[in-house]
Amino acid sequence: MTNQEIITLHPKIFSPLWKRSPIKIIVSLLIFLYLIFSIKYFNISITDFINGLNKMKPILLSMITWNDFLSWNFNSILVGILQTLAMAFLGTIAASVISIPLGLLASRQVMKINLFRFIIRRFLDFIRGVDILIWALIFVRAFGLGPLSGVLAIFVADTGTLSKLYSEAADNSDNKQIEGLVSSGSSKLSTIRFGLIPQVIPIFISQSLYFFESNSRSAVILGIVGAGGIGLQLSERMKAQYWDQAFFIIIIILIMVALIDRLSRFLREKIIND
Amino acid sequence: MKPLRIRNLKKKFKDTVAINGVNLEIEEGKITGIIGRSGSGKSTLLRMINRLIEPTEGTIEFNDIIITDIKGKALRKWRSECAMIFQQFNLVDRLDVLTNVLIGSLGRNYSFLNLFGYFSKEEKINALRNLNRFELTEKSLQRSGTLSGGQQQRVAIARALMQKPKILLADEPISSLDPKNSKRVMDDMLKINREDGITVICNLHSLEVAKKYCDRLIGLSEGEVVFDGKPNELTADISKKLYDLDDE
Amino acid sequence: MNEIILNSHNKSLIRKKRFWNISLIAIILIGIILSSIIIDINSSNLLNGIPRLGDYVSQILPSLESSNLFLSPKDQGSIAYWYFNLPKYLKLLFETFNMALLATIVGSTLALFLSFLAAKNTSPNSLVFFTIRRILEFFRGVPEIIFAILFVWVLGIGPLAGIIAMTLHTTGSLGKLFSEVHENSNNKPIDALKASGGNWLSEMKFGLLPQVLPNLISYVLLRFEINIRASTILGFVGAGGIGQELYLVINFNYYEEVSAIILLIILTVISIDLFSGYLRKNIIGVEND
Repeated sequence: MTNQEIITLHPKIFSPLWKRSPIKIIVSLLIFLYLIFSIKYFNISITDFINGLNKMKPILLSMITWNDFLSWNFNSILVGILQTLAMAFLGTIAASVISIPLGLLASRQVMKINLFRFIIRRFLDFIRGVDILIWALIFVRAFGLGPLSGVLAIFVADTGTLSKLYSEAADNSDNKQIEGLVSSGSSKLSTIRFGLIPQVIPIFISQSLYFFESNSRSAVILGIVGAGGIGLQLSERMKAQYWDQAFFIIIIILIMVALIDRLSRFLREKIIND
Repeated sequence: MKPLRIRNLKKKFKDTVAINGVNLEIEEGKITGIIGRSGSGKSTLLRMINRLIEPTEGTIEFNDIIITDIKGKALRKWRSECAMIFQQFNLVDRLDVLTNVLIGSLGRNYSFLNLFGYFSKEEKINALRNLNRFELTEKSLQRSGTLSGGQQQRVAIARALMQKPKILLADEPISSLDPKNSKRVMDDMLKINREDGITVICNLHSLEVAKKYCDRLIGLSEGEVVFDGKPNELTADISKKLYDLDDE
Repeated sequence: MNEIILNSHNKSLIRKKRFWNISLIAIILIGIILSSIIIDINSSNLLNGIPRLGDYVSQILPSLESSNLFLSPKDQGSIAYWYFNLPKYLKLLFETFNMALLATIVGSTLALFLSFLAAKNTSPNSLVFFTIRRILEFFRGVPEIIFAILFVWVLGIGPLAGIIAMTLHTTGSLGKLFSEVHENSNNKPIDALKASGGNWLSEMKFGLLPQVLPNLISYVLLRFEINIRASTILGFVGAGGIGQELYLVINFNYYEEVSAIILLIILTVISIDLFSGYLRKNIIGVEND
């Protein structure tokens, strides 16, 4: 068979690129055009970047040259870390506790009245749509600067997400155990207690641990808007341009988060195995 | 004659010795079968020939090149001359058959455009010719994962042929296939050996198949060569030793 | 005899379980007490704050009158009055959206390249593997807003600082996620490419990428959702977008504008979430036909 015969036999294979994979070409083109658009829209210029890099150099340098190390206010840093951990802890516990009834109320198994369930779910969506930092700002207005506002922000933001997760877990739980209970005539409350809850308790605890991990990260940044904790210490030092202390605090934060990560993973594995 | 010379080849994995001093000369243009129990070191030996596994000691020589020493571009060139097919075909399931075959040409003839998934007209014609030898051209635009095991292995052979290889290494090519497809694949390997003169080195776990298709058999047991000769020279005693039980 | 052994074994198991349950509760209670002390929470500052919260909420809620709902921006009680600044908000929302989009595109591209170096099965050597992994962890671990503060200082107030902050964080986060996907995928096609003489780039493009692409795209879409949320608040530190305006109206107590902007943000976030969820279902679905 000659080459030409082969080509005629398989038109699709030898058709031009734009016919063979149009989606790939369109997407690549769109992305390319968008990048050009963004450069104009955001006024991105190389000179800005170079100026920025030049400004970065002294900052980076002062981050790693630590002067007067011993005169730094370690006390405030320690208190900041403890506050942050306390904020994350209390916020997680409070959210976990309240999310259980809320989550059940938002689940198909428990809340049979569609309208109420819809309302509760939209309420939870609303809470989740507002970023935790915005909640922190609002609570700072009401409860003043300090970690109390932070705890409340974590509590509210987490309740939104945790309740949704719990309600989905309840929705997906095995119906058979529940049916078994219902058919043997137990009351609604007992059904929940003995049928639904034992299945989902390990998930509850595991999720709470995961959230504690994530909340300790959030708690760090809440301080930047005044809600206490190590974030406040960090932003104050950055505003005062104590870059070396700021860098030190960042490292402490990274270590703290890494330790909590390890601990949380360890505990969650234990729960799965028990 | 360009034999593949294996001298005193050894491979040690942490505490286990997989290959313990193998000396072989593989003849050009013949089908050589390597037989033995699983764990006897067949796969390790084969993969040292194209250096997917690095030997701990010993040399492999082909055509005055010391295979065990080469690096970088030279190593890639060797690998392109020494095609391999695998027990589990190792195709990219989500890509279509034609692209899977075209991938075989990358070692031999690589261009920057290939990185964007673009292959030249010549290579596509090449690929279709190779697929045609195995009567698989109608499947060219199908995802290779949708083909049967036997068909996938033959696509793999077509891919190997794109490399225009001198040697075909086959690592238990029919172990995942049913008898009918096994016969088809072995027949196809026989075909390319006889028609193209490609040296075939094939790991097989079935003694019966090995005896039927191979010009020469090498028996491995616990990393050492215990038999090297023609299939009809294989006695019942040696079979027992190889497999620790009677002839299959 | 066996029954006795079984029974005592059971009892010790039950005792062990009870021990764990009680210690868990004890730890939680101790934690609560300690934390409350550290933060100085007590019933008084909690109870004092609640009425203030109620006041604040009622202040930021719009004073809409049903009779005037659809009248012009000059009429109090109309929606138009509440949203008199809507053109400005929309402009800022557009900026916010683009910040997130650009950061996601650039961040995922960088993440893709770096992820090949940060996955055990595809990294050229262990030094590169270790270094790139640590770099990715750094970008992922430092909160975006901290980067944003730094870049506002260096580049000035405006969206550019936010874009770069989000790009770095996206690179770190997606880079790590991508490398985990690579490590969990099938090495066989990569082996086949190596065995046919392909170079490292071919191994990645033809051996690895086809397997992992749907997963990667899914993570990128998720990341876009997260970045939209982030870009709404990076403005708090001057990094552009609607966050800057929100910070302003909260601090100057332009009460009704606060609720106006928050509502807009919620609507934006929810619509992007829905759209992205829809894309994710359909792209993964198409790929799996």
